[in-house]
Amino acid sequence: MAINPVPDHVPSEMVRDFSLFTSPGMAPTPNGDPHAAVACVHAGPPIFYSPCNTRGGRGTWVITRARDQRRVLQDTETFSSHRSIFSSALGENWPMIPLELDPPAHGVFRSLLNPLLSPKRVMVLEPAVRERAITLIDRIAASGTSCDVMKDFAFPFTVSIFLRLLGLPDHRLDTFVGWAKDLLHGDDVKRPAAARTIVAFIDELATKRRKEPVDDFMTFIVQAQVGGRRLTEEEVRGIGVLVFVAGLDTVAAAIGFGLAYLARNLKDQELLRREPDRIMLAAEELLRAYPTVQIIRVATKDIDFEGAPIRKGDYVSCATMIANRDPAEFECPNTVDLAREENRHAAFGYGPHRCLGSHLARREIVIGLEEWLARIPAFRIKKATAPITSGGHVFGLENLILDWS
Amino acid sequence: MRIIVHKAKCQGHARCSAQAPDVFKLDDEGYILPGDIEVAEGEQRLASRGARSCPERALELDRTPAARG
Repeated sequence: MAINPVPDHVPSEMVRDFSLFTSPGMAPTPNGDPHAAVACVHAGPPIFYSPCNTRGGRGTWVITRARDQRRVLQDTETFSSHRSIFSSALGENWPMIPLELDPPAHGVFRSLLNPLLSPKRVMVLEPAVRERAITLIDRIAASGTSCDVMKDFAFPFTVSIFLRLLGLPDHRLDTFVGWAKDLLHGDDVKRPAAARTIVAFIDELATKRRKEPVDDFMTFIVQAQVGGRRLTEEEVRGIGVLVFVAGLDTVAAAIGFGLAYLARNLKDQELLRREPDRIMLAAEELLRAYPTVQIIRVATKDIDFEGAPIRKGDYVSCATMIANRDPAEFECPNTVDLAREENRHAAFGYGPHRCLGSHLARREIVIGLEEWLARIPAFRIKKATAPITSGGHVFGLENLILDWS
Repeated sequence: MRIIVHKAKCQGHARCSAQAPDVFKLDDEGYILPGDIEVAEGEQRLASRGARSCPERALELDRTPAARG
């Protein structure tokens, strides 16, 4: 990994040896707890500079307090999200939409897409989501007393919901999971290759739906209008790629981290099984304790922020897993309290770019937990196995072997 | 009790309406409708929970005597 030198304007006393990619506990670790590992930053200053805090080895400022992350992510004029993070891996420069657009262009596309993933729309999708969860879990329950939750439930569940949303057949599920894994966790050869495959796939799907419209997400996009015109091919691609990238890994990881917690905390597990009405609130607490995404912004101008000389072009990291362990925002932030009421967690970010899929993600997580607990008796991590966790841009869980024999 | 709605800060998390759907009404995109909210006697606990779960701090509890009145 190339490490850029610390820029001259960064005072040396503000540089800290911390990184979501290279700090202890961030590499794939059996029985790891990467969320607890990053919470240690709260012993330090509210903002510092990390010399190597992106996949490409770039330095970023790190904002630790929830209050300050809220300020950064709400202020899109000063902190832009236009980074072309996906297309730059291909040596190109087009935004994922709406994530990598700033207002006012952002609002136009956001308003176009919001109704497709609104709380109301998600209520319509709910029966199909629940049916999918039940089918998968029944199959697991019928075939033994142990399984790998990630491989057998979390990924097939979340990816098939996503495929249905896009109007794609289930039989391609393994292919998509493979692309997503290569893209998010692959090496320098696999990642751009996966990115190219995904772009070609989205382009082809858009062409197909233009010719033969059906009732699905991509047809809606290719037929949609903004400001009295159809979307350009690049805009359609930007939306398609974002939906693909954002929907694949994150919800599966959230379900995995949640079930891993319950497997290690049998009292909480039994409480939720006995009183399923508590699951909705509990899911918010699990999202607070185990969020998955680091959000990065680019400064559009020089600004002194809480004593830090942020200069135009600097990267600013707002890691949700850091905000969510801020003792100034949450009482006993390192304790999982499934009945926590005051819970303004940042798992889906703050500001206008709040995760567009958050309502669907929440329903999937809640339904996944409800149906799992209703169908699988008291479960633990299987003896002599260890869930492998990892840090990075998106925190993840490679495997989770549960046992209920 | 009254809830002051800072509409411009709402980003559509919908945490409020998940807690108290009868108190917090959303538009078709999932964002809060404009205008402060007078909370009925029986709904105060849920309404307060909803307001206190807003990640953007867009909902402010107003418990001044006038608001209670």
